[in-house]
Amino acid sequence: MTETAPGLPRLGTTLFSLTLEQRKPGRDLRALIGEVAARDLGPGLEMVAFQSLRGWPRLGDDAVREVRGLIEESGLTPSCLAVNLDLGLYPGRLLSDDEAYEYVAVQLRGAAALGFPAVRVGIESGPPILSRLLPLAEELGVKIGVEIHAPLTIDAPPVAALKELFTRLDTPWLGFIPDFSASMRAVPDAVDDAHRAAGIAPELTALAKDVWAEPGPTMAKFGELERRAAELGATPAQTGNLKMIFTMHGRMAPERWADFFPHVVHVHGKFYGVVDGEDPSIDYPAIARVLREQRYTGFISSEYEAHAYSDRYSAFDQIRAQHDLLKDLFEASVASR
Amino acid sequence: MGPLDDQVVRPDSLTATPDGLDIAVYSHWYRALPLPSLVKVDLTVDGTPVDPASLAATVNGKRYVFGELAGRGDEFWFTTDPIVLHVPVATAPGREHRVQLVLGLSIPYILTGPDRVPLVAPSSTDKKLTVGSPS
Repeated sequence: MTETAPGLPRLGTTLFSLTLEQRKPGRDLRALIGEVAARDLGPGLEMVAFQSLRGWPRLGDDAVREVRGLIEESGLTPSCLAVNLDLGLYPGRLLSDDEAYEYVAVQLRGAAALGFPAVRVGIESGPPILSRLLPLAEELGVKIGVEIHAPLTIDAPPVAALKELFTRLDTPWLGFIPDFSASMRAVPDAVDDAHRAAGIAPELTALAKDVWAEPGPTMAKFGELERRAAELGATPAQTGNLKMIFTMHGRMAPERWADFFPHVVHVHGKFYGVVDGEDPSIDYPAIARVLREQRYTGFISSEYEAHAYSDRYSAFDQIRAQHDLLKDLFEASVASR
Repeated sequence: MGPLDDQVVRPDSLTATPDGLDIAVYSHWYRALPLPSLVKVDLTVDGTPVDPASLAATVNGKRYVFGELAGRGDEFWFTTDPIVLHVPVATAPGREHRVQLVLGLSIPYILTGPDRVPLVAPSSTDKKLTVGSPS
């Protein structure tokens, strides 16, 4: 395991990082958990319930026993279970408030049965449903964290509303799961691989990267990107792919992570590639500094997502590289005090 | 867009059955999706478009006519399982077909725009494949 010293953030892996590995023959849940443990990519173990657990959200007792057994045998520590509120489950309508509550509540109970101390939900779970879920979270002893992923920032109205809720309720059972993707310093090179494979001209990719890097809020740049991409002859589908750059990669200053505290229940270490010990797209020292200043001792799940763009790198090797980088940073921060 | 798109229809996806052509289709999305997420199945076999209403699909061991999928929010298409499309196209083991498929998956937790409409994530396949025998 990549153990960090007491008083430091703890490292771990989400199986989401292994999305491509999961599709290879023989790589069932047992094999993936076993390989994470064998490669010392714990101690924390996170997974996306709908990705990793066949039959979710209605696991039978035998399946619950089996999954718990796999985790126990591995020696890993369950850190967080990512669940979803599928508000758009049915065509032409959104789930009602009662349906939405039940949809998450059954998953919260499932997370408790599997031994996870926290669940991750998305921003679609707003203050009303979180307030309603709070008594159940408390009863089950499972924290609910709302992931703050690009393009969201601490200042986005739905995030500000959550901050107000968490401050007002001041409960340990509800909070944020900030994600490194919210605070990137460059668009990762893996994007170029995917665009090349999809036949998107390099000048279009370069345009999107340029607009992304310009000052100003990302949300205000979609129109400019559309206009300038159309001038270069982009098709609507290509423009859609270019916009993904804006929605997957945020530009919030890492220092703003301080504003998520003290209501942070878990952290997602989203990343797209560490090469020679460096990550061109994420400023790890800046984020690590905030986590140390805030005395965060919870888990950071390494969440490798370049698999959405490219199969060029081994996810296992990438997580190893990120763990080494983070461990060095945290331990150096202790040495320098 | 992305490495999973190439796995939507695989080299061994085609099977001849007494009813026609079966095509095993895998998801290009990372997590299991409810069956109503299959909002777009634009399938063309050997240059001839296939009316989705003529399709049936087997998932989790149950067979549905295509129009039934929209109501089955309680059933999920698991990450590593295929949905088998039953296509009314005559075939036989060893025959080659050109399969073009634009698969649009409605992502029920990613809501877009002021009307909060689910994102539709597409994949596009264009492959010439040889039909196998039922196993």
